[in-house]
Amino acid sequence: MTEPAVQIRNVVKRYDGHTAVRGLSLTVPRGAVYGILGPNGAGKTTTIRMVLDIIEPDEGSIEILGAPNTAPGAIDRVGYLPEERGLYRRMQVRRVLRFLAELKGIGRRDADHRIDGWLERLGLRTSDRDWGEAKVDDLSRGMQQKVQFIGALLHDPDMLILDEPFSGLDPINAQMLQDIVMELRRSGKTILFCTHMMDSAERLCDSVCIIARGEKVLDGPVSSVRAEHGGRRVALELADGRANEVAALLADSSLVTRVNEANRVFDIELAPDADAQLLLRRLVESGAGISRFELGQASLHRIFVERVGALNSAEGRESDA
Amino acid sequence: MRKLLVVTAREYLERVRTRWFIVATVFGPIIFGLLLFVPPWMASRSKASTNVARIIILDGTGTDLGKRIAVELNGGIMGDTARTEVRQVAPARMAEAESLATRQTIAKETRGYLVVDSSTMAGESVRYAGNNATSTADMRVIRDAVRTEVVAMRLEEAGLSSFQSSSLAGMKLQLNAERITDRGRGASAQVSIFFAFGVAMLLYVSILMYGQAVLRGVIEEKQTRVAEVVVASVSAVKLLGGKVLGVGAVGLTQVLIWIAVGVTLMKVRTQVLGHFGIETTPMFIPGISAGSAVLLVLFFVLGYTFYAALFAMVGATVTNDQDAQQAQIPVVMLLVFSAFALAPVLASPEGKLGYAMGWLPFSSPIIMPLRMSVVSLEPFDIITSLVILVVSCYVVVFLAGRVYRTGLLMYGKRATFREVVRWMRRAG
Repeated sequence: MTEPAVQIRNVVKRYDGHTAVRGLSLTVPRGAVYGILGPNGAGKTTTIRMVLDIIEPDEGSIEILGAPNTAPGAIDRVGYLPEERGLYRRMQVRRVLRFLAELKGIGRRDADHRIDGWLERLGLRTSDRDWGEAKVDDLSRGMQQKVQFIGALLHDPDMLILDEPFSGLDPINAQMLQDIVMELRRSGKTILFCTHMMDSAERLCDSVCIIARGEKVLDGPVSSVRAEHGGRRVALELADGRANEVAALLADSSLVTRVNEANRVFDIELAPDADAQLLLRRLVESGAGISRFELGQASLHRIFVERVGALNSAEGRESDA
Repeated sequence: MRKLLVVTAREYLERVRTRWFIVATVFGPIIFGLLLFVPPWMASRSKASTNVARIIILDGTGTDLGKRIAVELNGGIMGDTARTEVRQVAPARMAEAESLATRQTIAKETRGYLVVDSSTMAGESVRYAGNNATSTADMRVIRDAVRTEVVAMRLEEAGLSSFQSSSLAGMKLQLNAERITDRGRGASAQVSIFFAFGVAMLLYVSILMYGQAVLRGVIEEKQTRVAEVVVASVSAVKLLGGKVLGVGAVGLTQVLIWIAVGVTLMKVRTQVLGHFGIETTPMFIPGISAGSAVLLVLFFVLGYTFYAALFAMVGATVTNDQDAQQAQIPVVMLLVFSAFALAPVLASPEGKLGYAMGWLPFSSPIIMPLRMSVVSLEPFDIITSLVILVVSCYVVVFLAGRVYRTGLLMYGKRATFREVVRWMRRAG
């Protein structure tokens, strides 16, 4: 039980004319909620598809729960909710779910029992109506999304892989999925999910890996990533004027590396070795009316934008040259 | 293997549950039944009227030709000639006699009148006027009766006895052709050709129909995006295999039902029609040896697999039905080309075209059963054809698997030919 849930080593995937994933290595610990974050086209879905043995990597190796992902039965321990979702439209809901469960090795009777339990839990089977008997086409979009979740969870997987799980979900279903994810985590399951929505990643993940253009930019537990890569931040809010004096102060590169301002709210990244107390003292001396001065760490969103944005602009300069 | 069975079972059960399957399975035998029962019924409707003999014969020959025709019309010397009135008329008074007969016909006293004169004796012409003149069956009966009696009279004039002449004149020669196979005399040649053509057409239609069902299945999985969920549990090649097997099993089920109902209908046809007073000759159902039956099923299974894999390949390269219509044309053309060759190959089953089309993998599943049904083929010929077909199936299924694996998760645009070739080359 000590092996990681997923171990990716130096994986490369090339398509016609471009490399989708370059030498990616990462380790997903067991029982963690792990986020693979990246902009569109970063190689997240390709990575997930390689983990699930839907496509083969050109180089490198992947292990799931201690076994090569190509080993018989390895992917049967994984539940998957892809970004591109769908069901057989003309099939009865119960039969679709039974089919998905049987593909994962669940017997028919056991599958039926589990299907009933999940349909009841997600409100698709009540004393008035059993939507399991309906055709998929007769279900609303929200109901179809619920059936998709059930399909991914029916075989009680040790690991759940979610690709952009919240895209296209209404707020109620998004919350429901989030609750299920947290419940699975509490019961010791591993959850690996890909997203470019940083707020949900920050809320749910224990560890993250940011990838861009097929390469790993950084990875680690969320707290370490924020401490190591976000720098020290100050959130400053001004009550009134003295804008020019404050602007001059924040331009001092010995104190401040970067500033973002909106509506007199400043997001300040302190320069290395700069003293936050010194900055506060100077602000007070300048006569600015300070309503908030808060020391903290950068959000994942900020780290993502800065690190991935820097890569993109570097790429832009390279291609310009 | 278990997953392959799960996919196969889903494909099979979901398809046999559809309304389309039920309608096609029921309508096939209904149409076949109509073909078996309606033509004899129509023929019985157009048979000569029972009162075709209720006519007047105006005999201007000065002989007993009119009387003899009356006897012939009424079923021979044992028949009752009361219904037919023979009037001996001098040639000069024929016009007057015709006017009278016309009035009687209008008054419905008789169905019509027949004028026999010297030109009839010369074997040139005979005239009939009546209210049933448009009935080809009635006219055939009258013409045959006149011809028989004219021939008999002329033979008698030539010196033959009346018995000899009437037996010669009434002689009906029927050609009963029979096919001889290695197993001895079997079906008639016509039945054999009908059967061979039937088998080939059944194979053509089933391969086309079920091959396209595979194509639609693949497109459905791409369009609904269900493919990605499924291939996360089962390999794309197994998914393809299960789909081809499942749809093929549906095809076999349907074709076997059609054949079973068809053979039963052919067997009970004579009794059923007899019940309604319609006489028919019993239909000959060609006996097929167990070996031939196995070969027929083998050609169907291999032919279907070959085309189903090609259709699946087409399905994996497109994203909607419109694109699929265009992209499948080359595959359909291969099948249609084979169907066009049926007639020339039937004309010369052991000719060069027959050999060539019997060995080419895209046409052999249709052409070989056709050739096998009409002539006895050398074992070498059949084995070569089968070996080529099996190897081709392996290659096509292998390449289709690669295209399917890559194409299944490609959304948005139709793949170019060059892209498809690249997919075939790469393993992952």
